[in-house]
Amino acid sequence: MGKPELADFARAHHVAFFDAMATELPGEYAPQEVNHLTLAYFAVGGLSLLRELDRVSKDKIVEWVLSFQTHPQAISDIDNQIFLGFCGSRSTQFSLANAKDPCHNVSHLASTYSALATLKIVGYDLANIDSNALLSSMKLLQQPDGSFMPTHIGAETDLRFVYCAAAICSMLDDWTGMDKLKAKDYILNCQSYDGGFGMVPGSESHGGGTFCAVAALHLMGFIQVDLASNLLESAPIDTRMLLEWCLQRQVTDGGFQGRRNKDSDTCYAFWVGGVLKIIGAYHLIDHCALREFLLTCQSPYGGFTKFPNQRIPDIYHSYYGLAALSLLEEEGLELLCVELGILAAAL
Amino acid sequence: MADADEAWVPPSRWPELAGVTPVPQDDGPSPVVPIAYRDDFREVMDYFRALYFAGERSPRALRLTAAAIELNPGNYTVWHFRRLILEALDSDFLEEMNFVDKIAESNPKNYQIWHHKRWLAEKLGPDVANKEHEFTKTILATDSKNYHAWSHRQWVLQSLGGWEGELQYCNQLLEEDIFNNSAWNQRYLVITRSPLLGGMTAMRDSEVDYTIEAILLNPQNESPWRYLKGLYKGENSLLLADERISGVCVKVLKNDWSCVFALSLLLDLLRLGLQPSDELKDTIEGMKSSDPELADADLATAVCSILQKCDPLRVNYWSWYKTTLSS
Repeated sequence: MGKPELADFARAHHVAFFDAMATELPGEYAPQEVNHLTLAYFAVGGLSLLRELDRVSKDKIVEWVLSFQTHPQAISDIDNQIFLGFCGSRSTQFSLANAKDPCHNVSHLASTYSALATLKIVGYDLANIDSNALLSSMKLLQQPDGSFMPTHIGAETDLRFVYCAAAICSMLDDWTGMDKLKAKDYILNCQSYDGGFGMVPGSESHGGGTFCAVAALHLMGFIQVDLASNLLESAPIDTRMLLEWCLQRQVTDGGFQGRRNKDSDTCYAFWVGGVLKIIGAYHLIDHCALREFLLTCQSPYGGFTKFPNQRIPDIYHSYYGLAALSLLEEEGLELLCVELGILAAAL
Repeated sequence: MADADEAWVPPSRWPELAGVTPVPQDDGPSPVVPIAYRDDFREVMDYFRALYFAGERSPRALRLTAAAIELNPGNYTVWHFRRLILEALDSDFLEEMNFVDKIAESNPKNYQIWHHKRWLAEKLGPDVANKEHEFTKTILATDSKNYHAWSHRQWVLQSLGGWEGELQYCNQLLEEDIFNNSAWNQRYLVITRSPLLGGMTAMRDSEVDYTIEAILLNPQNESPWRYLKGLYKGENSLLLADERISGVCVKVLKNDWSCVFALSLLLDLLRLGLQPSDELKDTIEGMKSSDPELADADLATAVCSILQKCDPLRVNYWSWYKTTLSS
């Protein structure tokens, strides 16, 4: 069998895909409904990268996103350590008029991040957000070891939520929501013997965990934009080992793997590529090989799949496929602010 | 409650829920990015809302959460409601652990399920450590790299114990697949944190031997090379003093001068100030001779140049590395 034709960036197909997702998410996404706001972030984010935001109503999006914000109903809400952020879906939002005592709205750090990021993408001025209660209640979610619990009802704590907290503080331009030094300590404890970062201390180095670690450190001001500075002895992390770990994740098919000796996957082109971008080393990868890999991950229906030459796209890999191509400065795509995961133009 | 083999019965047809009025989801004004919910999903969540609002803590509420979890295992509010009920009914947490283990088997990458297991394990205490280790072993037998399973296993070890067989378990996994990086990572945890071993200082020597053996079995496997370096993290002088390290590089390169991992480790050693043995110098000279341009290059620069050719995906990195050698 001959070599398959080299693919082109199928822009029109991707526009159609994201437009369809923004119009209605198929029933297969119901099991992810608790993260409805995040799914919306992917849809809106994807359209923004494609320069097709006019396909959605920005006003409607603002109104919808804001309707997920949990406002303090009583002074006791703040005393009771309820997180006053954004809920991720209607299914975690309960009108207190109907509910008995423990039925609080369950805001979540990931939904709060998704909410603020989506609002910024569509041009909403976050200064209009009532953020005092949000930030002071968020600080209560920080654990003694510096990590963050994402909800006040108890959940796993790991690097994902340290990142969310840092991104939230950065977008609101207010760091009273977290203790940065404690967070830094937790992040450093997550650096593995091989230079990458695991999701929790002791865990295997992982592309997603490494992005959360490095992006959070950068947002908090502990990492510089140029490689030379980051390689100085005084840098808080072992940047040299991190650099090698990241570069070794690009494998023979041109794509990036999330962990050593695993298959390459579309999304890690963003997670790991993003780390390299943040520390000033993105020019060291093989851009051509990566681009070719990503183009083979395009679905014939538009959007991107997890692995090359598959047929069924999903919105998560579709968003990160576009984001990765944006890092490669693909023609027709907007540039990203990598560490916040939103258009550079939206800042 | 529906069994995998029985047809799914919607809550509206459960006799015990006859008096309950389901509460529909209030999607609010002009929903954006709406989800096309299927009827069964919508119905079970409507009944969940009804019982949750009513503050019910009953066996029927418990059964309803099981139905909701089946269709919507990611919804942490449903799990939270279930935990409230379990506590109120003074439930058998071991029985509940068996229940969630069954669900975990078909949803092994769901965060809420693993969190529920941790919540139960905290309540059950050290007595449940071995049961949890058996369970994660089962999950890892199907997917030896399941990140959630490894996280849970590490948490159980550090919170509840059960370290006795862990190094042996790593050995077993590596025998099955020496490329399994999760197993190498676990090995590092055991060596450094097990209260039964002596820590890195006591274990390093035997670990170096073990790792070198693994390298020689397959020098193209990156995992043992990184592990080997990891054994000397923060101890550069000890690394340089251990002749076995440069020794394994030479041994591998004599067989295959293009082995990227051997070249890369060698380069790091030289950069850190390794005084090369005659054997090492001869080996590199032998590799240099294939390229007349390298004739005058020092050892480190020569190795860098060879890497630029042998590892073309990272040619930009090796070029950059070369520039740092002169400074």
